[in-house]
Amino acid sequence: VSDGTILVVDDDPSIRATISEILRMEGYPVEVAANGAEALTTVERSRPGLVLLDMRMPVLDGWGFARGLRERGVDLPILVMTAAQNARRWAEEIGADGYLAKPFDIDDLLDAVERRYGPPPA
Amino acid sequence: MDANALLQALTQALFVVIFLVVAVQSVRRPLRATIDIALLFGAVSLVIAEGLATALLDITPSRVLQATAGALVMTLPYLLLRLVDDFSDVPRWLMRGAEAGLALAVTGLFAWEPALPAAVTLLYVLYFFGLEAYAAVAFVREASRSRGVTRRRMQAVAIGSLLLGLTIFIAGLQAVAPGPAGFWSALSGVTAFGSGLGYFFGFAPPPVLRRAWQEPELRAFLGRAASLPRLPHTSAIVAELERGAAAALGAAGAGIGLWDESRNVLVFSLPPAGQQEASGRAPTDTEEYEVRPGEMAAGRAFALQQPLFYENALRDDPAYADVYRRSGVIAVLVAPITAGSKRLGVLAVYASHPPIFAEDDLVLVRLLADQAAVVLEARALIDEAARVQAREEAARLKDDFLSSAAHDLKTPLTTLVAQAQLLERRATRQPGAPADLDGITRIVRESERLRDLVLELLDASRVEDGRLVGFVETVDLVEIAREICKRHDSARHPCLLDAEEPVVGDFDPLRIAQLVENLVENAVKYSPGGGEVRVRVWREGGEGRLSVTDQGIGIPADDLPHIFQRFHRGSNVDDRRFAGMGLGLFICRGIAEQHGGRIEVRSTPGRGTTFEVALPVRAEAGVPTS
Repeated sequence: VSDGTILVVDDDPSIRATISEILRMEGYPVEVAANGAEALTTVERSRPGLVLLDMRMPVLDGWGFARGLRERGVDLPILVMTAAQNARRWAEEIGADGYLAKPFDIDDLLDAVERRYGPPPA
Repeated sequence: MDANALLQALTQALFVVIFLVVAVQSVRRPLRATIDIALLFGAVSLVIAEGLATALLDITPSRVLQATAGALVMTLPYLLLRLVDDFSDVPRWLMRGAEAGLALAVTGLFAWEPALPAAVTLLYVLYFFGLEAYAAVAFVREASRSRGVTRRRMQAVAIGSLLLGLTIFIAGLQAVAPGPAGFWSALSGVTAFGSGLGYFFGFAPPPVLRRAWQEPELRAFLGRAASLPRLPHTSAIVAELERGAAAALGAAGAGIGLWDESRNVLVFSLPPAGQQEASGRAPTDTEEYEVRPGEMAAGRAFALQQPLFYENALRDDPAYADVYRRSGVIAVLVAPITAGSKRLGVLAVYASHPPIFAEDDLVLVRLLADQAAVVLEARALIDEAARVQAREEAARLKDDFLSSAAHDLKTPLTTLVAQAQLLERRATRQPGAPADLDGITRIVRESERLRDLVLELLDASRVEDGRLVGFVETVDLVEIAREICKRHDSARHPCLLDAEEPVVGDFDPLRIAQLVENLVENAVKYSPGGGEVRVRVWREGGEGRLSVTDQGIGIPADDLPHIFQRFHRGSNVDDRRFAGMGLGLFICRGIAEQHGGRIEVRSTPGRGTTFEVALPVRAEAGVPTS
């Protein structure tokens, strides 16, 4: 069981909004970021309990974000979300805890989140 | 016998030996040039024989014998003039004049009793030296115009002519101003000997000397050959090979005819006349000249796969005499360019005068043709490698596109699926709750986005099939442009239409509107700082023209050639999401071309871009006449 928020990082505003909506409805605390750079700023402010990470983003992509975390000596559970074929390989490349291939069902999303973050705080 | 007499005897022997050699040559190879050479040395030999005979028999030469010897001496400059004509060209009037002069001179020698008056002698001297000087100058000029072995031959002949003139001059000097006889005759002996050698080496060089004179150019050519396949264009390689072959043989020019199997012709990239040689400039025009296998020297050598030598094409191939004469190809050596069993073409080396080449030059032409085959084959391999690379690049581009298209389609789909499931879940859990308008809006927006992407992909596949144009009707381009301009007009991006008259044609109105809309949308999209979008519609050159000009970020010059290609995205466009799939301009080009038109682009990075479309339209929209 983690504390801290779930950080949703995706450059597509619709996906960002939809995923946060799903998680909030279940009772998870959620923060959002539009790219890796914004996400790093958020991480510096408060430590999230899980990161849902898109890989291809402008400004700073998923690989850049993972590198940024290492440079700061921060280790966070990461769930890669990507529409690319190579979801699994990319997840391994950045040492993530798992991946979700877009498009996904919300049950799969919630299962994956619960397995890594735990149930929503009561 | 003193040294002087020895030198004289040697000189005389040399001339007689040369005469025998060239006489044999003229019999084996009866060309005008070889006969003229034999006559020249024959005349000299006769004069020598006459002198020897009178000296040996110790008789005073008779009047007739003296006149004959004089006549023979007077033929020398005329024969030289003929030789100039054999190697280059002498004006006809000069030839005829020289012949008339010679006839007069010979007649005079026999008619005047007992000796020529001094004034007349002066005329003889003028005639002799006039022609002599003309020949010497002509050979010097020919030497400077030609190259390789021919240049060296002409130089030798020019030296021979100068020495001959000097010899006669010394003899004359000896007659009018007798001095130390030994000195003068020694000097004239040396010059006579030199002139004999010069003429012999120039007019009838022994094969060893010929080859030695050919060698420097041949070596230079072979040295360059290895780097030739890397030249940017096959035409440049062919030009280099032609230059090298012509230089190695001392020819006026050379032509390579490349075998075009589908059309069954040999294609020369320049008419094999070598006019470009005369001007001394690199050939810039790429006029083509075609020869069928079996036709003319080149076609025959190709058909037979045998090297071939026409000493005088006018005589040896009379059926095409006119063509040869027009193109100035009189002597021609041809060898097939063949790599293994693969016929690549022919190499033809030509000259406008027969005695430039010799029979054994065929060996050299064959060698050069084989070298050309190696170079052209290497080139073909390099081209093939480039084609394979291009195919791989195209396959890679397609792969890249497919994965990026899949990514682009999955992005709106992700929202659609998740958001729809979320709405369903919420409606199940909280049946009475108010509608989630934000969620519904997201579904609408993302389904529209998905629709646009899918339609774009379908259009792109229609571009490839040539099925873009559907229902065609009579449409005014100006009306379409006006409507689209109005729709996109904003304070930030004012859309200004500039059109004076209707431009009417038969188009698919939906596709033309799609084309114009795409260009105007691009103009707005790539002018993030705002700026005017100018749409102009006019007629020009029987076509309808439409241009869209923006003041936006522009397109880098490196991208310009590619922007109408499928999947291409500008290298200065970082907006992955909104740049679409890189198909918009590809579709625009498809629409223009499938209407029988075209699209072009001009751009200055940082200043703006103009797209211009040309479409076929109806004739001037005048008042209909009945």
